[in-house]
Amino acid sequence: MTDTPLIQIRDLSKSYGEKLVLKHLTLDIFPGQVIGYIGPNGAGKSTTVKILTGLIPDFKGQVTVDGLDMSINSLEIKKLIGYVPENAELYDVLTPMEYLDFIGKLYNMEEGMLHDRAKKLLTAFGLSDNINNRMDTFSKGMKQKVLLISGIIHNPKIIVLDEPLSGLDANAVIMIKELIVRLKEEGKTIFYCSHMMDVVEKVSDRILLINKGEIIADGTFESLKQNHSDTLEGIFAKLTGRESSGSEADAIINSFD
Amino acid sequence: MIAMDKLFLTAVGKFDFLLEKAGVNTRQLQDILRIKLMMDNRRPRTLFSKKRANNTNVNNPWLVTLFTLMMGLFVGMLLFFGDSPLSGHTFYFTIFMILMCFTLVTDFTTVLIDTRDQFILLPRPVDDRTIAMSRILHITIYILRLALIQGLPGIIMVGFADKSFLSPIVMLVEILEATFLSILFVNLIYLAMMRTVSPQRFKDLISYFQIAFSTLIFAVYYLLPRLINLNALKDINLLAHNWSYFLPSMWISALNEVLIHPSRATVVIGLLALAGLVTPVIGLWFVIKVLAPGFNRKLMILATSEDSNSGTVKVKSQLKQDFRDKIGSVVAPDPVENAGFSITWKLAARTREFKMKAYPSFAFVPIMFLYFTLSGGGQSVGEKMSKIQNGSSYVFLFYLSFIVLSSLLGNITMSEKFKSAWVYYALPIGQPGKILSGMYKALVMLYYLPFCIILGTGMVIVWGPGIINDIVLSFFACLVYGVLTALFIVKGLPFSKPVVNKQNGGRGIVSLATMALIGLLGYGHYVLAKYELIIWLAIIPVAALYWVMINQYKKTTWDDLESFEDAETIEKPKKIKTKPLIQTK
Repeated sequence: MTDTPLIQIRDLSKSYGEKLVLKHLTLDIFPGQVIGYIGPNGAGKSTTVKILTGLIPDFKGQVTVDGLDMSINSLEIKKLIGYVPENAELYDVLTPMEYLDFIGKLYNMEEGMLHDRAKKLLTAFGLSDNINNRMDTFSKGMKQKVLLISGIIHNPKIIVLDEPLSGLDANAVIMIKELIVRLKEEGKTIFYCSHMMDVVEKVSDRILLINKGEIIADGTFESLKQNHSDTLEGIFAKLTGRESSGSEADAIINSFD
Repeated sequence: MIAMDKLFLTAVGKFDFLLEKAGVNTRQLQDILRIKLMMDNRRPRTLFSKKRANNTNVNNPWLVTLFTLMMGLFVGMLLFFGDSPLSGHTFYFTIFMILMCFTLVTDFTTVLIDTRDQFILLPRPVDDRTIAMSRILHITIYILRLALIQGLPGIIMVGFADKSFLSPIVMLVEILEATFLSILFVNLIYLAMMRTVSPQRFKDLISYFQIAFSTLIFAVYYLLPRLINLNALKDINLLAHNWSYFLPSMWISALNEVLIHPSRATVVIGLLALAGLVTPVIGLWFVIKVLAPGFNRKLMILATSEDSNSGTVKVKSQLKQDFRDKIGSVVAPDPVENAGFSITWKLAARTREFKMKAYPSFAFVPIMFLYFTLSGGGQSVGEKMSKIQNGSSYVFLFYLSFIVLSSLLGNITMSEKFKSAWVYYALPIGQPGKILSGMYKALVMLYYLPFCIILGTGMVIVWGPGIINDIVLSFFACLVYGVLTALFIVKGLPFSKPVVNKQNGGRGIVSLATMALIGLLGYGHYVLAKYELIIWLAIIPVAALYWVMINQYKKTTWDDLESFEDAETIEKPKKIKTKPLIQTK
């Protein structure tokens, strides 16, 4: 790991109408880090991800990736990033092979290598029997796997995963967890956005907790544990003001009286 | 990929040097266009065909081509309508452009505002110019493909008629002009909408625009031939009317007049032809330089606002909720029935897909009335209208409102989110009929009654207060028809079934029988309309019949309805195999 950050976020703010979703976010992410990005619903996670991946171009502040300014070089930055969105947004009248062929070509990949890699990845993800089936007949989990493949097919430096385990079965979840670890070993920087605390706890070597548009905790799981609670769930609840979930449960039970 | 698409892509490739100069990545452009055209060929089209979710033939490009050719042949006959080629071409291109605009609005809106692009293309290294150009070319290729197929019979027909090689070439240029002008027109409307309203409102407006446009086409198709004198139209001299100079179709046909019949061309015709050539060029430049970038920016907002909290839709004011609750407590006092009433009212009022299907039926009622009453020869339109105003045919106008009830009931069980209906099956509801009667009453109170009040008020203004008894009687008769339809045809709870056109022969016969019944009732009413007292008295038994029927409807059991499993079985599609992109070993 080098001392030069791969991603630099300075004073980043974003609002929708009058609602300020991100409030002066400042952050450095270093090469090879696996960042677990957590926070309650509406905290600003997805907005951060969309700005990082160039989906939202109008924001205040500065975002730099590998020395390139997002406001000026978003195209070059996109070449470095592989993005897996939360919802299975893909052209589902295509087959997985057609879709991956299309995505690979947009990254300017050589056709032979692209087809070879797509085939290997589809097989590795257990989709070899469905290579030539249209995706509108696929389950959510199958679509999610195709999305994952489309995010890594060009072998990016940075991988941004927004709830990648959504809709996947237990075996696939185990496989993705292992995949994240292996990608980290390959030197990839991973920005992993999720609500699944146990997975975040296991795969991340740095956890960022965002609440109401601000980073309220930043550190390794071990360091957060020392200051707050034994589990990531506990840390999350304490820092986001939901510590009293026991009393909430009591209130629910008492409402039957 | 069909041959024509390959031809278009090759044609686009010929302009690579120009596009690259404009900053477009031509390799990416070709890839995006190729995939978009492939998806178009797999996408069901709505023009001239209803959505047929389970019909695999609907995507066959050859069938679509054949159908479009036949349409082109039919419309092509207009080329020889009127006293001169100028008139014939103007009539032809008027219809041609209306059809192109209709296609753009109905079939292409999903492509035009497809926010998936923002998540699939934008995270990739594709620049804005390439995306903007791909969108413009995609629209152009799509519509040109259709335009050329539709225009082909016309091209052949003018070739034979003029016995000239030049005529088909000029006709081809005219088709290109008409196509570009149609694209420009639809783009202008969309951009104007996007500039003035919020992204969410834009989606609603597009839907309403689609409804209005479809209804207009429907009305023109049924009523125009009855409202205008075709013989007079045949002899019309368009140049004598200044308004015709503003018709784009006139500019287009002026080109034909200048090049094919130069002896008849005047200075005015020459200027009109020039306007026809210059406007598409200016229009295309305007679309590329001004409209397209703005369109992309707005689409981005549309895509991102869908996920952000900014799109939160506020429910109606407390006053309106109280109003709904008050009506519910009066017409559906039973708690279960009230729940059915309340959920149907809320969902039917807020579900865009339901409203889009139900709203056109409101316009169909007066259109169908005029269609039937203006049919038949021998009299002028004025004489026919006078006869309507002085006769008792108004009775049929109100009875035609059964179309509204049919449409409401036909769509109320269907939803894209039908799986949310699991709740009905999980709750301890012993008698689903109460939910159904609540559903029926909500539809009547929310949509049918307000429609009848507006229609009735209009009728009283035209025919006078003496017809109030007729209105009340026909209202109850239609309610009886509605309950019969609900009893025998609507076999599901509100929004509980997938959106498919599942034909059922048995129900088709029942449907015809109920329609025959309302027809008979209407005819009986028409015959007795002059006996005012009888009409007043008839209201009592018909209203009583409605009361009996609705109570019968309340007794519907679970066995009378389709099960949740049935709905799930309908929804699951079969696997669709496609030709492999590469051969797998």
